[in-house]
Amino acid sequence: MPVDLKTAKAIAALARLELAPGVPEGEAQDALGKLVGEFGKIVGYMDILGELDTSEVEPLYSPMLEPETPREDVPAKGDARLSDADDILGIAPELSGRFFVVPRVV
Amino acid sequence: MGNNYELHRLGLRDARQGLLRRDFSASELVESLLARIAVTEPKIGACLRVLGDEARETAKALDASGPDASKGLWGIPITIKDVYNVKGAPTTAGSKILSNYLPSYEATVVRRLREAGAIILAKTNLDEFAMGSSTEFSAYGPTRNPRALDRVPGGSSGGAAAGIVAMQAPGAFGTDTGGSIRQPAALCGCAGLKPTYGRVSRYGIIAYGSSLDQAGPLARTVGDLGPLLQAVAGRDGRDSTASARGADDYINIVAKDPKGLTLALPKELWEGSFDTGVRATLDKALSRLKDQGARLEYVGMPMLRYSVAVYYVIAAAEASTNLARYDGVRYGVRAQGYRDLLGMYRQSRTEGLGREVRRRILLGTFALSSGYYDAYYKKAAQVRRLIQEDYLRVLEKADFILAPVSSIPAWPFGSFTEDPLTQYQLDIMTLPLNLAGGPGLSLPAGMGPDGLPVGLQLMGPPFAERPLLEAGLALEGIFPKLPEAAL
Repeated sequence: MPVDLKTAKAIAALARLELAPGVPEGEAQDALGKLVGEFGKIVGYMDILGELDTSEVEPLYSPMLEPETPREDVPAKGDARLSDADDILGIAPELSGRFFVVPRVV
Repeated sequence: MGNNYELHRLGLRDARQGLLRRDFSASELVESLLARIAVTEPKIGACLRVLGDEARETAKALDASGPDASKGLWGIPITIKDVYNVKGAPTTAGSKILSNYLPSYEATVVRRLREAGAIILAKTNLDEFAMGSSTEFSAYGPTRNPRALDRVPGGSSGGAAAGIVAMQAPGAFGTDTGGSIRQPAALCGCAGLKPTYGRVSRYGIIAYGSSLDQAGPLARTVGDLGPLLQAVAGRDGRDSTASARGADDYINIVAKDPKGLTLALPKELWEGSFDTGVRATLDKALSRLKDQGARLEYVGMPMLRYSVAVYYVIAAAEASTNLARYDGVRYGVRAQGYRDLLGMYRQSRTEGLGREVRRRILLGTFALSSGYYDAYYKKAAQVRRLIQEDYLRVLEKADFILAPVSSIPAWPFGSFTEDPLTQYQLDIMTLPLNLAGGPGLSLPAGMGPDGLPVGLQLMGPPFAERPLLEAGLALEGIFPKLPEAAL
């Protein structure tokens, strides 16, 4: 399937990415055209899947042949997952007290 | 061992024997490897961070209590691909966006390695978020192939494989989502094992494609992989996809008799176009196998034709979901100069993630988006089932599947960076295994005429790691032994 610029822009918006970062205003159109072309080539290759009739095939989302094995839901002492909250807050880009700070949304 | 300067040359099991016999101490082994890293690292760039002080401290503590044979990796230094969380060291995943990420917890694999007495020596380089097959897409610069410094080591676990071949460590852990252990092992000339999906816990490993990712070991010989797998295999309450099946004995293994070994060779992988040197080396390896009495049978696996398309839809879809968490809010790098929340997300992700990672996120977002989901993601998942059925069907009649690992040898830097689709298509040898979920073992089949290693891989039924290693031992005995890398 060919991908047009409008679709590419919509996908980039969903992915929270800029399509042609660092490209000067005047060259943006060329850069976008190249990117969309390259993207379309990759998506076009994926279209070979259309050769197969899979109407009766159940999708396989995990290769496991056995059911998953959840553990008993019991708290464990000294669990490394319950790491010190200070460690987690200590690597945040921006904090106010013990809260993560993001740009104002309301 | 009189000469401690040569301890770095010891393979894993030889090093273990020497340690248990007290021929040398864990500290002496660590010093020898750190010295080797200091000499080789400026040439190959395999490590993102050498944990010298931590390794020395651990070795000192181990030496103080003395050798413990009940611990399978007592005193053995090991490198870890920089997608595993190791407490006290940053995990960058080869990405700028995680340049300042200090994990507050440790991967199950790393914890089990420590419990087995291993020493974590260094964190190795990789393609950003393990997306790539050349280690050229690391935000921290490429790793070079120790056999030819102007060529890539393969990837994404390129630092792991290059470090093993450069004798920086006797064992390494990498991850394999579409061939990322097996292919660099082949291109650098060492052994690498992708265990069955679910054999090893993924807890604490940065996720790329969650239904494809699997952790596994690399070493210079097949037999040295056993103790590494033994230390980490088994159920983990922190990863529900880690199988409840008990681990087998991967250490006390015996080479299978090649006579009576039935190997299935998928026509779709053997009949494509090859580099002539690779082809000649593979043909020689096949005739050696036949001479030793192995039965080689060409089989059709028609669904392999679709595997590259299936893989890149599924891996990209899972990547776009897994990497949505990198938004500059709780950890990682936040861009400056944004105007609003969406702008902050967009700018942080665009500046922090590399070109190939952004490309795959876009592809995955496309495949999962409303209007395209059925035609791409669901369709790929349906064809994935057909690929798995092909794989299991062939293994009903053969002991293992035998395939090349790469149709070309290690290539010069920059060969495919402007042509992603061609590079994706090169992965056809390795990625079907991740779609099917089985185990695969890559080992050197010989040296090509250009002096570059050529690899072969054996693939087996789910959870057949022990017979796979035993068959690998047999093949290793039949194929020529590679020389040490001249560094």
